[in-house]
Amino acid sequence: MILAYGLLIIAGIVLLYLAFKTGDRRYIYLAVAFYVIFPVLITLNLPAEISPEVRQLYEAVDSLPDSSVVLLTFDYYPSTLAETEPMSRAALHHLFRKNCRIFTMTTIPLGGPSIAERVTRELAGQYGKVYGVDYVNLGYKANYVAVLKGMGSSIESIYPADNTGTSLDKLPIMKDIRNYGDVDFIFAVSDNSIIDYWMSIVNAQYGIKIGTGVTAVMAPRYYAYLSSGQMTGMLGGMKGAADYEKLVGKPALAAKGMAAQSLVHLFIILSVIAGNLIFFIEKRSRRREGHR
Amino acid sequence: MSLVDFLQTWIIAFFTLSLFSFLYKDNPFYKFAEHIFAGLSAGYYVGLIWHSVIIQQMVDPMLQDGRWWLIFPGILGAMMFSRFSKNYGWVSRLSLAFVMGNTAGIFLLSELHGKVLPQIQSTMLSVDLKQPIGDLVLSIIIIAGVITTLIFFYFSKEHKGLLGGAARVGIWFIMISFGAHFGYTVMARISLLIGQVQFLINDWIGGTLQALL
Repeated sequence: MILAYGLLIIAGIVLLYLAFKTGDRRYIYLAVAFYVIFPVLITLNLPAEISPEVRQLYEAVDSLPDSSVVLLTFDYYPSTLAETEPMSRAALHHLFRKNCRIFTMTTIPLGGPSIAERVTRELAGQYGKVYGVDYVNLGYKANYVAVLKGMGSSIESIYPADNTGTSLDKLPIMKDIRNYGDVDFIFAVSDNSIIDYWMSIVNAQYGIKIGTGVTAVMAPRYYAYLSSGQMTGMLGGMKGAADYEKLVGKPALAAKGMAAQSLVHLFIILSVIAGNLIFFIEKRSRRREGHR
Repeated sequence: MSLVDFLQTWIIAFFTLSLFSFLYKDNPFYKFAEHIFAGLSAGYYVGLIWHSVIIQQMVDPMLQDGRWWLIFPGILGAMMFSRFSKNYGWVSRLSLAFVMGNTAGIFLLSELHGKVLPQIQSTMLSVDLKQPIGDLVLSIIIIAGVITTLIFFYFSKEHKGLLGGAARVGIWFIMISFGAHFGYTVMARISLLIGQVQFLINDWIGGTLQALL
């Protein structure tokens, strides 16, 4: 393992040197590819602390009573699956284990309905859950603002049927779920700004607790909701997903990806420091040449 | 692995590698993958909107439940297509006026009630002398950050003296915020790369070897 780390460091330094010497950024791409591929092939266990906002979300879900009604959203496109799907999977492990009644929905037309269908059916199979009794997939509806507001009055008016076209009144799980008043918790996994509407429309107007899973690009702006107490926990990017996987005891793709994540981050830090050092050294030498 | 899964995996792998090939240089494989993606997305989106909006939310409720009044939003939607005509393009503005008025009405309330007021309240009430010293310092930093950043965006007076000093502190807060955003963006992009590399190694290479052996 020490030999592997040594080789990784040497390769990174050599590629960085070549990149700076030739000015060809493809050496940087090659180094990043190297640091991503290597940990996928060989398991590296790098230490990582669980973030407080992830623990907050885990504890909020964990404290829900048995058979609570939870709305899990799949508001993401296939392009961000690497970050978001592990969140949905970890959430489903936790919710199915707690025997929560889950209904899923999406406001994303491209991929959202099929991702929700694939992931929920696979995980439900592992826990022996029955479709229509323990969980249901409501699918996609256009115009998310109208959907989010309309579900406050009547879910059935927005979703007369589930994703497969079955009328909601034929699904036992939906008998007691009429609107947000019957929902105990919302777990919104998203790769876009719809989180703002979940917070400003559903949380603010209906007072339902909302925990979120968002991509890393989005995470910094949602810390404001966390610190104001409007949001009940957040999973930020692959790190958040990996933390939640660890907490539910099901480390999977996100947890495995974190070693690569850490190595690439170290390489980028090294590149930034080296780039700045070279910049200042060249500036100084140019100034000296100017004095001559 | 079934034949369908096998073919699906190979198609995904082909398009992934075609798109990655751009990192070396622009090439026909990249262009082919890009055009297929654009065409497929547009086709899928049109089909989905036709089914989930026109049929499910307008035609079916009108014909099956007798909700005839849905013809009015339908007409408003159809009016948008008048933009293609030079003489009757103005008709689409009526639909747009409806959308703008409706959107402004909805968002005015939700933004104020759900975002502006709770955020101001939480900033103003964050300082509590009884809280631990660490939290107290953080609360003061948050308040200082909010005030100095707002001063930076106050352009009605020249940034000189006390106002200029506060604005300079505001720039520091903005820069730190940009740094945090950049760090998270790096993490996001690398995550996407990790996801595709995991697919290529585990599903494509691993799955193909498993199927062959």
